[in-house]
Amino acid sequence: MTTFRKHSSSSFNFAVHLSLTTQSRSMLVCQGPGIGSVTHKPTWALGARTKKWLLADVISTVEFSHSGDLLATGDKGGRVVIFQREQENKSRPHSRGEYNVYSTFQSHEPEFDYLKSLEIEEKINKIRWLPQQSAAHFLLSTNDKTIKLWKISERDKRAEGYNLKDEDGRLRDPFRITALRVPILKPMDLMVEASPRRIFANAHTYHINSISVNSDHETYLSADDLRINLWHLEITDRSFNIVDIKPANMEELTEVITAAEFHPHQCNVLVYSSSKGTIRLCDMRSSALCDQHSKFFEEPEDPSSRSFFSEIISSVSDVKFSHSGRYMMTRDYLSVKVWDLNMESRPVETHQVHEYLRSKLCSLYENDCIFDKFECCWNGSDRSTYSCAWQCSHLGSTWPGAGEGSHSRVWSSGPGGRLRPCSAIMTGSYNNFFRMFDRTTWRDVTLEASRENSKPRASLKPRRVCAGGKRKKDEVSVDSLDFSKKILHTAWHPAENIIAVAATNNLYIFQDKAN
Amino acid sequence: MEFKLEAHRIVSISLGKIYNSRVQRGGIKLHKNLLVSLVLRSARQVYLSDPCPGLYLAGHPGAPALPQQPGESVAGPPAGWGEPPPPAACAAWPEPEPQLELPAVPEVPRAGDAEPAASVTGAGDTLQGGEAEAAEAAWRRVEGPRETAVGGSDVFPQGLGAARRPCGFPPGDEDKMSASPRVDGCCAPRPAGPEPPVPPPVCPRKRGAEGVGGGPADFPAPGSTPLKKPRRNSEEQPGGAAAAAAQEEEEMETGNVANLISIFGSSFSGLLRKSPGGGREEAEGEESGPEAAEPGQICCDKPVLRDINPWSTAIVAF
Repeated sequence: MTTFRKHSSSSFNFAVHLSLTTQSRSMLVCQGPGIGSVTHKPTWALGARTKKWLLADVISTVEFSHSGDLLATGDKGGRVVIFQREQENKSRPHSRGEYNVYSTFQSHEPEFDYLKSLEIEEKINKIRWLPQQSAAHFLLSTNDKTIKLWKISERDKRAEGYNLKDEDGRLRDPFRITALRVPILKPMDLMVEASPRRIFANAHTYHINSISVNSDHETYLSADDLRINLWHLEITDRSFNIVDIKPANMEELTEVITAAEFHPHQCNVLVYSSSKGTIRLCDMRSSALCDQHSKFFEEPEDPSSRSFFSEIISSVSDVKFSHSGRYMMTRDYLSVKVWDLNMESRPVETHQVHEYLRSKLCSLYENDCIFDKFECCWNGSDRSTYSCAWQCSHLGSTWPGAGEGSHSRVWSSGPGGRLRPCSAIMTGSYNNFFRMFDRTTWRDVTLEASRENSKPRASLKPRRVCAGGKRKKDEVSVDSLDFSKKILHTAWHPAENIIAVAATNNLYIFQDKAN
Repeated sequence: MEFKLEAHRIVSISLGKIYNSRVQRGGIKLHKNLLVSLVLRSARQVYLSDPCPGLYLAGHPGAPALPQQPGESVAGPPAGWGEPPPPAACAAWPEPEPQLELPAVPEVPRAGDAEPAASVTGAGDTLQGGEAEAAEAAWRRVEGPRETAVGGSDVFPQGLGAARRPCGFPPGDEDKMSASPRVDGCCAPRPAGPEPPVPPPVCPRKRGAEGVGGGPADFPAPGSTPLKKPRRNSEEQPGGAAAAAAQEEEEMETGNVANLISIFGSSFSGLLRKSPGGGREEAEGEESGPEAAEPGQICCDKPVLRDINPWSTAIVAF
């Protein structure tokens, strides 16, 4: 486990990332929809060379499937790339758990709205997996205006021995058939096909920012700036509008919807966040149109920290329910807040992500960084457990911080180690840093996703940002942060300690080293 | 004072963002533009709440708008957020603000650098008049040679509505300040010294037509912010000025709104109704056209409303 403090006696041990598996996406070969596997070569140098199409490769969303075996990423060019976890293989013990490209397809194409003379970007805003109910996998991907349901299926057998056509596919002359045979299935090279099953279009006037699959596995919601629509997965020509905050007079517009999500267990409950920093919880049982919220979460503003940009930095960019459904987490520009659904007056926890940026808001406003929408995620199920460093000692492992590679980690099933449910949250920052907060021990760590600092199998070193004053060795000063390297999208495996971090056009997958 | 400078700068940046959002791919992002408009409003409030020194700073050309005037608050710390401008004079400010922002838009692209605004502002920012100066100065800068004739550090009489900004900027014509020549012309009549308010009521209007520069003479503010237009607006405010000045300003303002609207182009179908007094500048004949505003109509909309207008119209339009 990597330690998050310099002191060796740190008890904060995030059991994260011991080995680094990096996949460079800039080399992916994109094929048309429905086509199968893609060759992928992870190399370090490609990104630099292919500068001209780096932009289309900027990753715009990352999402693990419900089992965690598949990891989907969407990019600005409208492509979806799915990675699959390698199965355990005795001959290659180290490759267990590595993610390799499974399927690539073009999900959305650029479109043009002739009525408004506007181009509709093909950038994938969100991907959400459906719970797996058969051998095939289904996911929803959306751009600004259209949601598509994709079916990803494997084909590894084909039928041979047809009567009316031969192996090449040519029709056989019926007169030449002398005997009948039953076609048999023969194995073939695995082919992964992605086909669009449903297209949900023309329901949103504004830009879609969220989709969320309901726990009933039949419906899902899509949210744009002013409205939230409820869809049935089977019906594409109709959707129900359940939230509409568009004012009669647009001049009175004061806030927009920034994110929305269904409750993980209660299929009638959804939340949506606004640009004013408030979250509203709605119960669909109360009325057909949920304009009246059932709960209203808002933290009173601290008047002493008022500035020109107070409104911008209080805008919530992401909202996520915890796996238990008891808590939810919101991300605004400088912090992550955890709310108890039973308490509307203020969050139960507030974690500062990069408070040192508060004095630089004006510059960040100028270069548009203040509008960056960071996402946040919970660690795998609340039940997943991983121990803290001090528990490792029971196993005789070295203390964290003793040196690279000498980390240990106790899995939940490890003998001798005490198990503790550990709840953690993760979010991104600038300079390719991302932050993790352990809610149990109230420790946090800053890690970096970069090629230079991460070699395969190496442990991640905690980073520190020096806000001012004397800069210690190994610290990064605020002025030297690279604001073009931002980590907006991260995802955590639903069961294990594996995380996926999207740094512009590179995807980093970190996981615990198996001891 | 610093706040005012900061506010100025932020206003110019914000306008630039809104302007650029027109051409970005994927259409106007409602969320981002809403946030930018909120920032604009906050900056405007700060602007307004700053104690306005009755006179604008009399800068000599090239001199950083040091407010010479008796401006009261040259050094006065800005009133802070949203505080009602203490002096009554400041109260007369209201209108110019919106204009300030609007016109800036075309300028912004040209200006390119927002920073200078900051420097400029330093000089006269605190003073409304100073603003005008700064704006003027900025205007000039962009336009071309500064008018020395204007020179004047003379104080602009508050009542002078000079600050009016050239409404007539052709909306898309950021780069070209056709007004330049006019400016000079406009300025010409202004005597370098303490200038007589010459025909204040007339002047401003003319200036507006000219669109540029006429402004309160002197403005030497070298540092003017790139946003010429906005600066101008700020100037409008010279102190509480007379009602006439205020009126003029109002007209100016509408003109600016009109400009902005025209800048945003056809996507704003409902804009026209929002732009009162767009027809003011007929002299230029520039944008007024589309605005078709009721000429000479003083828009009595509240400043806030006015301020919102362009944004809301923008929002509505898209």
